[in-house]
Amino acid sequence: MKLPARGAAGVLVAATCMLSLAAWAGGSGFGDDDDNTDEAGPSYFGFVRDTAGATIPDAKVTVSLKDRLSIVTRTDALGTYKVPGFGTDANPNDVEVACSKDGYKQARVVRRSMPNPDPKIPVETECTLQRI
Amino acid sequence: MHRKSLPLLLALAVFMAGAVWSRPGAAESEYGDANAQPAPFNPQMSALMNMLIQPRHAKLGLAGKAENWPLAAYALKELRQGFLVVSHAVPRWKGLPVPDLVDAAVGNPIRTLDAAVKMRFRTQFDQEYAKLTAGCNACHATTDHSFVVIKQPDASAFPNQDFELKR
Repeated sequence: MKLPARGAAGVLVAATCMLSLAAWAGGSGFGDDDDNTDEAGPSYFGFVRDTAGATIPDAKVTVSLKDRLSIVTRTDALGTYKVPGFGTDANPNDVEVACSKDGYKQARVVRRSMPNPDPKIPVETECTLQRI
Repeated sequence: MHRKSLPLLLALAVFMAGAVWSRPGAAESEYGDANAQPAPFNPQMSALMNMLIQPRHAKLGLAGKAENWPLAAYALKELRQGFLVVSHAVPRWKGLPVPDLVDAAVGNPIRTLDAAVKMRFRTQFDQEYAKLTAGCNACHATTDHSFVVIKQPDASAFPNQDFELKR
């Protein structure tokens, strides 16, 4: 079917109005597909502290997925680290955290929060260093 | 009427009908139902920061700058109380442990500011207030909010309050 130019314009306007109406009424949303956090699985967060409980900035933190890969990062000014997830197929129980800093040795690693059904919630693991 | 303008008029009619159809009824505005039961007030992190932390941080800075130590002591106590309220109200924010973050960010500066205020020692106050402010920004960075930059107030946002000490 061949529409006259103005007729086609009218149909276009009608379609645009209907689409914008759907969006205005809450029936449509755009942009959420750009967020691929769900596919990354839970991220890993935690503090590095000394045995007195004080946080340690600029400590080296290694977060490893057993037998697969490791991410190395350093703690920030607050003594925290954060690394992204290893993917939804990675079991958080297979993820290990280690920390180090010159003049210290690792004393213990304690997981403070379990994996959450919401993949945007990080798994928290605290690492404690002891002065040598 | 021209037959060519019919599609345009049809489109307008569809749009207007839809607009009327999707408008909330008289008893229910887009902000809710006036006859609903009052909901518990449950402000979240950004509201708590705006209500309890940022103004108290500013008042503390203004009081210290004016060397109004009784007011500075009060503002510091209020600020500390604000952090306690935030930590209790939102113990985990996006999975992050708020009490631990608050302690790591501002715990030490608040303790040393308390000593500076009690000693009425302006230089020490200025140093510790700068550390407190840096702690706020470090926490914002840790929580992916580094675009919220806190600084020492250079003017009062409280025109109805005199920060000078009245003797």
